[in-house]
Amino acid sequence: MTRWRLRNCPFDSRYSSPLWLWMTVLIVTCAALSGSDYVDHSKLSAQLRQFADQHPQTVHLTPLAQSTGHRDLWLVELGVGSEDERKSRPALLLVAGIEGNDLTGSAVALAFVERLANSADQDPVVRDLLRQNTVYVLPRVNPDAAESYFLRPRQERAGTSTPTDNDHDGLTDEDGPEDLNGDGLITSMRVADPDGEYVPDPNEPRLLLRAEKARGDKAVWKLLTEGIDNDRDEQWNEDPPGGVNLNRNFPYRYAYFDHHSGLHPVSEIESRALADFFVRRPNIAIVFTYGMADNLIQTPKSEPGGKRPPTAIQEADEPYYKELGKVYREAVGLNKELTGASEPGTFSDWVYFHRGRFSLAAKAWSPWMQIEIDKARAGADRDGKTNRLDTAKDSNPKGTNQVSTPVPTQGPGETAKAVKDGPGGSADKRGESEREILKWFDTHAPEAYLPWKVFPHPDLTNRTVEIGGWAPFALTTAPTNTLDAICEKQIRFLTNLVGRLPRIALRQPKITPLGNGLFELKLQIENVGYLPTALAQGTLTREVLRTRVVLGMDERRILAGRKTTFLGPIAGSGGMEEVRYVIRSPGPCSIEVVSALGGSARQTIEFKEEQ
Amino acid sequence: MNRKRILSAILWTGWLGMISAQEAGRLPASGNPASHAYSALGLPATRKVDVEWNRFYDHAGLGTILEKLHRAFPDLTRLYSVGKSVEGRDLWCLEVTAFKVGNCQRKPGMYIDGNIHGNEVQAGEVVAYTAWYLCHQYRQLAKVTDLLDRCVLYLVPTINPDGRDRWFHEAQTPHSSRSGLRPVDDDGDGRADEDDVDDLDGDGSIVQMRIRDPNGRWKPHPQFPDYFMVRAAPDEKGEYTLLGWEGLDNDGDGEVNEDPAGGYDMNRNWAWDWQPNYIQHGAMEYPFSLPETRALSEFIVSHPNIAAAQSYHNAGGMILRGPGREGGIIQPQDESVMQFIASRGEKMLPYYRSMVIWKDLYTVWGGEVDWLYGARGVVPYTTELWTSRNANRRADGEGRDEEVTFLQHVLLEEGLVQWHAFDHPTYGKVELGGTKKNWGRTPPSFLLEEECHRNMAFTLYHAEQMPRLAIPEIRLEKLDERLYKAWITVANDRVIPTRLEQDVRNHISPPDTVTVTGDQLKVLASGIVIDRFASRVTPSKRRPERLEIDAIPGMDVIRTQFLLSGSGTMRVAVDSAHGGIVTAERVLP
Repeated sequence: MTRWRLRNCPFDSRYSSPLWLWMTVLIVTCAALSGSDYVDHSKLSAQLRQFADQHPQTVHLTPLAQSTGHRDLWLVELGVGSEDERKSRPALLLVAGIEGNDLTGSAVALAFVERLANSADQDPVVRDLLRQNTVYVLPRVNPDAAESYFLRPRQERAGTSTPTDNDHDGLTDEDGPEDLNGDGLITSMRVADPDGEYVPDPNEPRLLLRAEKARGDKAVWKLLTEGIDNDRDEQWNEDPPGGVNLNRNFPYRYAYFDHHSGLHPVSEIESRALADFFVRRPNIAIVFTYGMADNLIQTPKSEPGGKRPPTAIQEADEPYYKELGKVYREAVGLNKELTGASEPGTFSDWVYFHRGRFSLAAKAWSPWMQIEIDKARAGADRDGKTNRLDTAKDSNPKGTNQVSTPVPTQGPGETAKAVKDGPGGSADKRGESEREILKWFDTHAPEAYLPWKVFPHPDLTNRTVEIGGWAPFALTTAPTNTLDAICEKQIRFLTNLVGRLPRIALRQPKITPLGNGLFELKLQIENVGYLPTALAQGTLTREVLRTRVVLGMDERRILAGRKTTFLGPIAGSGGMEEVRYVIRSPGPCSIEVVSALGGSARQTIEFKEEQ
Repeated sequence: MNRKRILSAILWTGWLGMISAQEAGRLPASGNPASHAYSALGLPATRKVDVEWNRFYDHAGLGTILEKLHRAFPDLTRLYSVGKSVEGRDLWCLEVTAFKVGNCQRKPGMYIDGNIHGNEVQAGEVVAYTAWYLCHQYRQLAKVTDLLDRCVLYLVPTINPDGRDRWFHEAQTPHSSRSGLRPVDDDGDGRADEDDVDDLDGDGSIVQMRIRDPNGRWKPHPQFPDYFMVRAAPDEKGEYTLLGWEGLDNDGDGEVNEDPAGGYDMNRNWAWDWQPNYIQHGAMEYPFSLPETRALSEFIVSHPNIAAAQSYHNAGGMILRGPGREGGIIQPQDESVMQFIASRGEKMLPYYRSMVIWKDLYTVWGGEVDWLYGARGVVPYTTELWTSRNANRRADGEGRDEEVTFLQHVLLEEGLVQWHAFDHPTYGKVELGGTKKNWGRTPPSFLLEEECHRNMAFTLYHAEQMPRLAIPEIRLEKLDERLYKAWITVANDRVIPTRLEQDVRNHISPPDTVTVTGDQLKVLASGIVIDRFASRVTPSKRRPERLEIDAIPGMDVIRTQFLLSGSGTMRVAVDSAHGGIVTAERVLP
């Protein structure tokens, strides 16, 4: 008879309930945020350094690169152990500030780092999780553009500091805006011009509607950015300083010859640093990117696999997107799907379509989303229910529960389209979503919209020129008094996400003696995490290496089966794959299971002939 | 009798000795044959830099040739590194133009590279030969003088020096060492480049392995058993199983040669119609992710005067142009220019064919010439050097008879490794044999020089077709006191327009301009003459003194009109990114 012995079983079955539930409970119970504000690059750097100093075991800070404007592009790694150890564990990557005007996402990322580091200090279970997983955070991928929020005049931009020739005249950045009225903000100018494109909104004289010739609209206003025509080409501010939007600079659905997208995919220092970092960390299973692209407030459409190049996510991957979309909307307090879509050349699409990873994307905040959240809460209150998820401290949503018309959830540029597609389409309906937003700001942050004031423009002496409109960053950056609540909700989701990583485990090997010193060895490799060890897209792209089982023993003793066996994807939540061998005793045998995204498991067994 | 014989032998020997002493005195004078040479057409008999063009040079060898040329022809060359390879080798560029004539930064430029695939070695010699020829023929041949006075050539003989040197200095097949040398985990086992081919018998060649096998499906060619293996007929028993290239299972995973050095394709890493690895094998992670392609793209972007390009590969005898994929963009006007220039090349290169990549060869995503055309608006070709049609002298195909005759009698069996036994650790008793790495894709020594010259000639023709601008006519008409109408004709008497349609449509380079200035004059209005007989003119919108033109088409003129007031000298300047600058002056009557 034979006896076998089990050594070094690393899998700890302590977490019998799904990991994401544990994580959410642990982290959300940590001290709530207060008084969050947006920070410039030097403050951001100082805070990150402070976290790294305070938590040397768990927080590791390195600059990935220097931006075009010579600012450090910080990488924060949360994980216990050496870099090599952290590189071999299941990992989540959080990317924020890749679009320069994403100050809110950047603030969330910073708060998330702080929260995770503090929780790890206070709770051994969280520290243990950071021993088994790695969390990478890039809090601000485009630090140059974010800095424009803190400068005077404040001018919103999403691009890098790379000089570009937006108007194809052979000159770069030669006609940027100017703060003509000296209010410290670059806003808009409306110029009285029958050849313009806008008419006043009859329901809200501060807002403009696009003139529609078919409706008989006669244009009244031309809308320009505040400034003069520096290069005297009769175009105003058509070639401002900067830049390439890093989140349009990746190869999937890349838009050529669009000045926001750069000279070619991954043309910029910052996008290249991000891409190279991502390639060097094949353990990253989940990526979450803050920016204009979204696949959480609305689950993206799928298509059957095999289309090359693909135009939508694979059918087999859709349920995971759907589930996490639900989790996200619940976390932020939305009670329905809104309209969300990706953009050409985004980082998140490269991650899914070309690198085969689970890639989520959303705006950390938008006024449209905020209004819907407020409505959802008002609805819940009215129904007498208390929404468990909306107990977090939030701004006062008063006065936003009277609107019953469904509104488009996208920016003002899409308003006209949404209305055109809608039923009725009377003059009153146009611009409804922007009016609603303006009303929200009037209540919560009235400084977001500046009244139109006549200004004697030096270039346009014969025309009425008024300066005013949306303040820079108003529509993309949450008012600071709402920031704590946003961070809480987003952290709730991010924390949940950390618990969704795949995780490989090796069940107790089954050894059956076949007689005469031969044994059948049966290995069962389980995925105790949530996500599969590879999405369908990960398998298709072959960028997620197959899980391999390697026996460490004299090859001649393996009479059936192979020394290295590659496994197909293993579903999460307990999915299992089995490998069988015929082994000749005696001698030890080490077993190593390595999953690209699900970590690894090791064990040593011994086949012994019973006397 | 005996003594007589001995005596006569002595006498004979002595006489013979005297003869040889006299013969020694009558040997040709020692010296340099080069100083007794007469030029064969193609090159002057005396050369400042001696290079033999009947062998291949490694990266250092090509570098040395460029360095010698640069020292010998300092007014015609600049030598610099465009960037570094994965292993740190320089991408040497020899810039060739008449530096003392004109502004070399504004001359129409042609970018010429070779050897993007490490094993496609003779591309390097063709580019280096071009440099060598141009330097020696400047001021000897009017065509070369004119070309170097007017244009600038950027010559990069090898853009994959790592792959090249590996092919030179290690045992390889004709097809291996195509990749660069960034390690890639081809078999997905977590290790990179751990199981390459192996020179089992240490003869410097990687050849085929075969094993005798009563169930095998291969047999030696019945007529030429030493040269070819052929498949047995479906109803016939074979004799051998083929086991692939010479090699071991280095990593003990049960597979032989499954993770060789590198494992990608630098010609799939360019940022136009790029697709990832699973759609286009070898593309790597993103466009220009490799140091070589990155450096070259930056070099090309920073030289907006580049209007034409050539990228030498081997093999097959093809003049290839894009698009690389079905449905890829090529504007019809641009296609006709490219088709025409290639058709000239077909005539200059026997057995070469003009082809479109996706249609006539195979699909290529992210290829170099597609980027050059699509993203940069340049006229590029990929020439696949060498075809065995040239050895066999058969345009219709590759006849076995001719091939064997060539191998057996012309090459005296030099390219062959005869089948010989080897005891393989995994397979047991096998046989090794086949052709050496310098057979099949590269020409033999005596055809290499021809290959270099003819291909250079096509590329120089291509360079010559870059736009050449002139102001052939300025017609001045006095309309009133101090009011003039000037008709300025701008001509391009070459085939390539100043801006391809792809360029105009996508604003790749700035528009061409015609600028009129004068100290005592003012431009009141300007426009483009669209009908010279009916005097129909499209007026410009703004800045009349700086008239923008989309492009000056090939073999054509653009007529412009300027309405001027004032007097004195009128200065005209035509400025085109690809066509350079031409100027003229007239005094207003």
